Amino acid sequence: MGNKPKIICVTGGKGGTGKTFVAVNLATMFKNEGYKPLLIDGDSENPNSYLLLGGKLGKREEVLFFKPSINEDNCTKCGICAQNCVPHALLHVNNSIPIPILAVCSGCKLCYKICPTNAIEASYKTVGWIYELNERGIDLLVGELKPGEARSASVIDSLLERLDTRINGTMSNYDVVIIDTAPGAHCDVEELINKADYVIPVTEPTKFGLTDLIRINELITLLHKQFKVIINRSNLLGYKNQFFNELDAIHVDIIGKIPLHDEVVTSYCAGVPLMEDRKDGEVIGPAYEAFQQIYEEVKKWINIKNTN
Amino acid sequence: MDNIVVGIVSGKGGVGKTTLTASLASLASRDNDFKPIILDCDVDAPNLSIILPPKLNTEPQIKDTYTTIKASFILEKCVHCKMCIDDHFCEFNALSWDVENATPIIDFLKCEGCGACKTLCPEHAFEIHPVKSGEIISYENDYGSLLAYGRTRLGSTTSGKLVSEVKSFAQHLDYYKSANLTIIDGPPGIGCPVISMLTGINYIIAITEPTPSGLHDLIRVLELVDQFKIPFSIVVNKADLKSPFQLKFKKYIKETQYKVLGKIDFDYAIPEAMSYAKPVVNFAPDSKAGLAIKRIYENLKKQLNSHYSDL
Repeated sequence: MGNKPKIICVTGGKGGTGKTFVAVNLATMFKNEGYKPLLIDGDSENPNSYLLLGGKLGKREEVLFFKPSINEDNCTKCGICAQNCVPHALLHVNNSIPIPILAVCSGCKLCYKICPTNAIEASYKTVGWIYELNERGIDLLVGELKPGEARSASVIDSLLERLDTRINGTMSNYDVVIIDTAPGAHCDVEELINKADYVIPVTEPTKFGLTDLIRINELITLLHKQFKVIINRSNLLGYKNQFFNELDAIHVDIIGKIPLHDEVVTSYCAGVPLMEDRKDGEVIGPAYEAFQQIYEEVKKWINIKNTN
Repeated sequence: MDNIVVGIVSGKGGVGKTTLTASLASLASRDNDFKPIILDCDVDAPNLSIILPPKLNTEPQIKDTYTTIKASFILEKCVHCKMCIDDHFCEFNALSWDVENATPIIDFLKCEGCGACKTLCPEHAFEIHPVKSGEIISYENDYGSLLAYGRTRLGSTTSGKLVSEVKSFAQHLDYYKSANLTIIDGPPGIGCPVISMLTGINYIIAITEPTPSGLHDLIRVLELVDQFKIPFSIVVNKADLKSPFQLKFKKYIKETQYKVLGKIDFDYAIPEAMSYAKPVVNFAPDSKAGLAIKRIYENLKKQLNSHYSDL
């Protein structure tokens, strides 16, 4: 069995700061240097990593979620299921068969476990999908929430199960796992950060960026993880000086800064990662150089062995 | 007169929801046709209050919320039978076994408060109770309207419920009864908090940008909006972005015949206004972006008039 890969989680609190951009390009750099990265897209509400790699979603597997299904022949209409259901997901009106209200069902299976006559059967609905892809030589696992469903946590659980299978299997040869999260600081983000050894919040030098960074840092600290911050669009004027002073005052460790530059937007929109191997003679811009530096810093930080 | 509820969503984060909401809120506050109330339902990252701070000498009201239920364990009642683990009481893997003390351990973050452990334990060694999940902050803002927003307590697994709580909090205010417009800054994504936010909304503005992710996430959020049968229109931010994706983006918007409420070209007035924590329409009213947002506001009024004629 190979070594356990290093797990890095890219997050950020605020939306649109460049989480996916950083995750995809870190994976690309590791690939360029001969490492074997595994990229996990954990923003199930809006999985975009494959778009940045110019890929398409293909074959998918369903993520199923429990729903109670009433066997009317067995049901004695006793109402025990409804009485014990904390989110009130079973409607039991006097002497009638209970009606499941799926929108509020937590999927705890309590009704199924306590029904004295086994009249509640476990049935399942699709709440999302998992895709296993390889784009530009990078293995990629994508979790997608089905629009209209609220159980993104189930998609994340399923994604993490597959991650475990991939990295714990005897055939596993991944050197590094890079996890991309949703914006915010909610349970999905929490679960993904919890899985990582190293956390990289990506933010921008604005008041919003600062406020959300402070919040996500609190969450990371709550989960006892080490983190270093990337400042994206670092050349954005206005609040910049104050921003860096504030970060200084709270002793935030900055691993690198990426200036906003046309090459970033172009690569982002073309579906070719900024750090994808360049043809000889192609102009290398300031963002490319900045990212290269960040990559070197990340390698030092996670203490990854050199490739042969 | 009814209170018309307008929500701003985007799918993708960071495309300008809060920037647009702040300016629309400011414009509506000084418009004699409206008495607006403003809600920030991005409870994970509530930022609207930075741009719409309290009026001078106004003290924000803070109310704790208890929308989260969590389990707790009563050591005295436990007979160490380990049934909770062996029979897999918890579907959320929040229960594990402390071998040394022969007792279960509850993972606070994973617990969903479903109460299964409480009901299933023959010794009644588990209880459930509401815990503090966050807070709702409200005040009269600098621009003359009321702002209310929610902020989750980290690790409380509550975002969707807190969104509902913010809306219901607002509806119970006296201010709400005399208001005729509610503007809601929505959360990113399409998950639980967005679903909670969409409930009971009359009109949606979906803001996006001409990038592959912007469009992809717009399509996903509109699929959700469509399930709720809410009328909507689009705002394109960073509309003049130098992007190889522009053609595809424009073609898609044209083919779908989405109603475009307006476009905002990239303008340094926006980050600058942000750094001074002011709505763009106040900080730089005659800038390209300021004028574009004013046009969007006028178009929004027309849309609301055509959909809700009693306004």
